[in-house]
Amino acid sequence: MTKPPRTEFERRFEAMMNDGLTRRTLVRRGTAGALSISAMAYLAACGSDKLGPRKTSEKVIPKGKIASELVFANWPLYIDVDEKTKKHPTLEMFQKKYGTKVKYIEEINDNNEFFGKVNQQYAQGSSGGRDLHVLTDWMCARMKRLGYVQKLDKTAMPNVVNNIETAVASPDFDPKREFSVPWQSGQVLLIYRKDKIGGDLTSVNELFDPKFKGKVTMLTEMRDTVGSVLLADGVKPEDATLDQVMTAIDKIAKASQDGQIRRFTGNEYTKDILKGDSHAILGWSGDAVQLTADSKNVGYAQPKEGFMIFTDTMQIPVGAPHAYTAEKMMDFVYDPEIQALITAYVNYVPPVKGVKEVLQKSDPELGGSPLIFPDLTNAHNFKTFTPAEETQIDSAFQKAIGA
Amino acid sequence: MAFLLRRRHAAAPYLLLAPGIGWLVLFFAVPLYYMAQISLKEGSIDTGYRFTWHFQTYVDAISNYSDQFLRSFEYAGLATVLSLVIAYPLAYVIAFRGGRWRNALLLLVILPFFTTYLVRTLSWETILDDDGWIVHVLQSVGLLGHHGRLLATGTAVVTGITYNFLPFMILPLYASLERIDKRLHEAAYDLYGRRRDVFLRVTLPLSAPGIVAGVLLTFIPAAGDFVNAQLLGTPRQSMIGNVIQSRYLEVTDYPTAAALSFILMAIILVLVLAYAKIAGTEELTGAEGVAA
Repeated sequence: MTKPPRTEFERRFEAMMNDGLTRRTLVRRGTAGALSISAMAYLAACGSDKLGPRKTSEKVIPKGKIASELVFANWPLYIDVDEKTKKHPTLEMFQKKYGTKVKYIEEINDNNEFFGKVNQQYAQGSSGGRDLHVLTDWMCARMKRLGYVQKLDKTAMPNVVNNIETAVASPDFDPKREFSVPWQSGQVLLIYRKDKIGGDLTSVNELFDPKFKGKVTMLTEMRDTVGSVLLADGVKPEDATLDQVMTAIDKIAKASQDGQIRRFTGNEYTKDILKGDSHAILGWSGDAVQLTADSKNVGYAQPKEGFMIFTDTMQIPVGAPHAYTAEKMMDFVYDPEIQALITAYVNYVPPVKGVKEVLQKSDPELGGSPLIFPDLTNAHNFKTFTPAEETQIDSAFQKAIGA
Repeated sequence: MAFLLRRRHAAAPYLLLAPGIGWLVLFFAVPLYYMAQISLKEGSIDTGYRFTWHFQTYVDAISNYSDQFLRSFEYAGLATVLSLVIAYPLAYVIAFRGGRWRNALLLLVILPFFTTYLVRTLSWETILDDDGWIVHVLQSVGLLGHHGRLLATGTAVVTGITYNFLPFMILPLYASLERIDKRLHEAAYDLYGRRRDVFLRVTLPLSAPGIVAGVLLTFIPAAGDFVNAQLLGTPRQSMIGNVIQSRYLEVTDYPTAAALSFILMAIILVLVLAYAKIAGTEELTGAEGVAA
């Protein structure tokens, strides 16, 4: 009863209904269908040799009129939902303010899968009707590198300029955030069954302890898993060398071959840990909020050697029909009052200053949660490697996780 | 006039074939051509891909992923044999003892198809849980060690594949068993055939086309499957389908993904041709000769 918008019962019921259907769920499952669709899309035009980079335009998006429609591509369950009407209150507020109807499409289940789907369109300068997409920073880096996204006019978005959290304001691939604006961030944490392991975890190295053999899972997101392992070995992922990354991947590969690591997951891990198929895992902070609410037996911890933070980020693809309106949307969600509504629902780390103060008033429990407002001094990002190195790393990691 | 009619007559088969051929060209031959082209390209998404007749991709693909190829055929083979063993008695009972329940029983066979493949596979995840009753029962009778498990093992993957492709075995078997003229059985018994002889010398040969069709329908898709290994296995159970998926989507290594697909296709083709040679081609197409 502590949460005005959702009672404990509603939360549990929702958790049951959504079992595993949190943010990155369909990741793996969706790939099956997506593979065939994206394969078709790819094949449809791959006779032409158009697959490849475009030239990035240095011109910013020109100011214009606010459009009556905006197409927003995002991940499932990654924005506030009114449980009764099933509508998105923040998007309705946007419509009230600007008169723009937002077509909100939850079509992104996996960074790579989405890339496979849009690569051909974006390469030809068409956004496929999309005005905004949300992808994890490393994929945003690729999008920018390939010239698939537009340069933003920061003068059109004062909220973003004023309210962006320092920790996410200047990633190495886009130091001034001229091609990308963060949507939500999240921590990569140790999540574990207190009842099964008889205590708490403090270090990622404990996941390699033989007493947890076959009960450990790690994430299919390469940067989250490899970054966490690097940290455990005392290497900062932002300045890691290729060799150090490869050593960490070898360590993971060996643990996988030995059966120490049971499997690598998207957020199916929520199901595994609740059922007891896994006892000690790497997981995401937004899910930790839900898991600890679902079960008293689940605990979480920031690894003491430091933790990885990932940021999912908005971009405006080339050829977006309503680019100026899309900038207004980016700016709109950087109003702390609006962002607080999203945070209260998705439970990830907001990239907007001032949200904590708003939430502390409306929902003190969430406002004080270290999962949503973590101490960021120990947070780390994964270095952006060159494309060739990236391929080498991806390839080795994929091999480590079985393919 | 008669001449025109005759001509129209001659064109009719081709017109009837047109939709099928059109479909095959558009969705099979054309993609196949592009796939072949991609598999011989070199490059990356950052540099673009250039066509260079790069056959080395095939060599590398085979040497890097021979484990997964072998595992795929091992799992698909095991699942096919298991399916046959499970499906034959079932199809036999439905065809000869089903009586008025026949259609209802067939419906039960098809019923799982009413939910999606993924949901069916995910439910096996729940059935084989480490803390589930099946594991507990097997542990208490000593078939599984105290720390033994079913989920995330090869057994789970083969079980999943068998379950998912079982109807593809049952239906052709049923179709061929159901066609058997009951009077042949009566005649066999009249000639003092024992049950075993009637089965081995009448029923089994007459159902051979069903066995051949069922084996092909099960084995071919099972060899390329990646969902079961993904959901019920660990990295140590990954099959060639998982590799193709990961090369294509995760690493964006399109040439290797395309080359692997071709190699898989080629191996399956060789296996199927060898099988057809042994089983007899007439049985692939319906075995009218045997019944007559």
